[in-house]
Amino acid sequence: MTPRSPGDVRNRLDFWQALSGACLALFICVHLVLEGSVVLSPSITNGIGWLLEVTYAAQIAAPLIVLLILFHFWIAARKMPFRAGELQIFVVHSKALREPDTWLWLVQVFTAVIILAGAFFHVYTVMTDMPITVAGSARRLHSGWLLFHAVFLPSIILHTGIGIYRLAVKFGVCRKSSRDRWRRAVWIGMGCYLALGVCALTRVWFIGC
Amino acid sequence: MGRKLTFEIFRYTPLDPASTPHMQQYTLEEHPSMTLFIALNQIREMHDATLQFDFCCRAGICGSCGMVINGRPGLACHTQTRDLQDHITLHPLPVFKLLGDLSVDTGTWFRNVGTKIESWIHTNKEFDPEAQEERMDNALANRIFELDRCVECGCCVAACGTARMREDFIGATAINRLARFYIDPRDNRTPADYYDLIGDDNGVFGCMGLLACDNVCPKQIPLQDQLGIMRRMSTLESVRGILPEFLRKKLQGCGHIEA
Repeated sequence: MTPRSPGDVRNRLDFWQALSGACLALFICVHLVLEGSVVLSPSITNGIGWLLEVTYAAQIAAPLIVLLILFHFWIAARKMPFRAGELQIFVVHSKALREPDTWLWLVQVFTAVIILAGAFFHVYTVMTDMPITVAGSARRLHSGWLLFHAVFLPSIILHTGIGIYRLAVKFGVCRKSSRDRWRRAVWIGMGCYLALGVCALTRVWFIGC
Repeated sequence: MGRKLTFEIFRYTPLDPASTPHMQQYTLEEHPSMTLFIALNQIREMHDATLQFDFCCRAGICGSCGMVINGRPGLACHTQTRDLQDHITLHPLPVFKLLGDLSVDTGTWFRNVGTKIESWIHTNKEFDPEAQEERMDNALANRIFELDRCVECGCCVAACGTARMREDFIGATAINRLARFYIDPRDNRTPADYYDLIGDDNGVFGCMGLLACDNVCPKQIPLQDQLGIMRRMSTLESVRGILPEFLRKKLQGCGHIEA
């Protein structure tokens, strides 16, 4: 075996990919719950928005989150089927194999592209339309952003849920014996977040009417 | 009277200039307990003596008869025709070098990857042929045996989306093989040594957790669990100097296979 030289650079891309993904997943879970507070009462959401603004948390976190998404995409993209023929090979392979987990990776690839583009527009429109209020969100929804959220919200939830599941699988947390329980929990979790998101969007939509 | 089975089989012999890749159909009458292995032998005996496929043990031990059965890799001798539909499509395993029809050369691939991961016990002890064999705890011996059950059929490699896209990926079988040495106390290698062998995107970091390897393994070896253990070990090794040492060691301990 060739001993590693002191100057040898270690391959930490996988570590950074996992860590940035876990941080983003945590952010999304918290973000959607905070957004979902509008279902209970718009004044709660307005209060959260006010608090995040006066503490400059929103102004600081928003660009950092975009940078983290870019960083995560940049690292994870090394596995994406960009090279000629790779995507075709993978799709043909997935069709023949009929393995749900193999398909899930393709879902992650496609949702990653949607999120990369969508996150920038989402953050840009929110941060250039301060203060963060439910009324502002309602105005944006009625000016054509509903379709954007109809695509963006499921993409985010799918990518996050599948990402958490695959992270657990890849690092041996989700083992063969507990895989079915993990799958069920992740799909239920994604369903709950989607329901919360849809309820929040509906509530905001009718506030703007 | 059994079902009439239609076999659609990939035919191509690369060394024959006159051969072109095509699918050829054969029909057989199904009989009780018929396996694909039996069916293929009947086709060769009764319909076409030129059909090439590999077999040896007919009992899922040698791993020779791996092929793609209706899109999923599996062993012909392990597959009962009663579990399949009337129309059965057979292809050779991808990734490996095609010898002819359903026969592929898995040996060269496994030898190359075995050399790459140094698939042998590394020890400084001098072998004494007169000495008694070292004793091993039975539970540990069973854990090692569990991973040693791999018959190198290549089904996990053929089912792996990463291996299909990136020919340098060493596959679940190789990482499972290294996991076997990782828990073997006779092997003196440290996590740093294992990291040197598999700590890159052609090794354990190349695995995308697609799970197909685990699901198609004819020996039901928990391949993804081993990949998880080795990935965690390699990742923690990669961040030596970044993560606090006490935390790294604590997490490293979790990486070992549960008894």
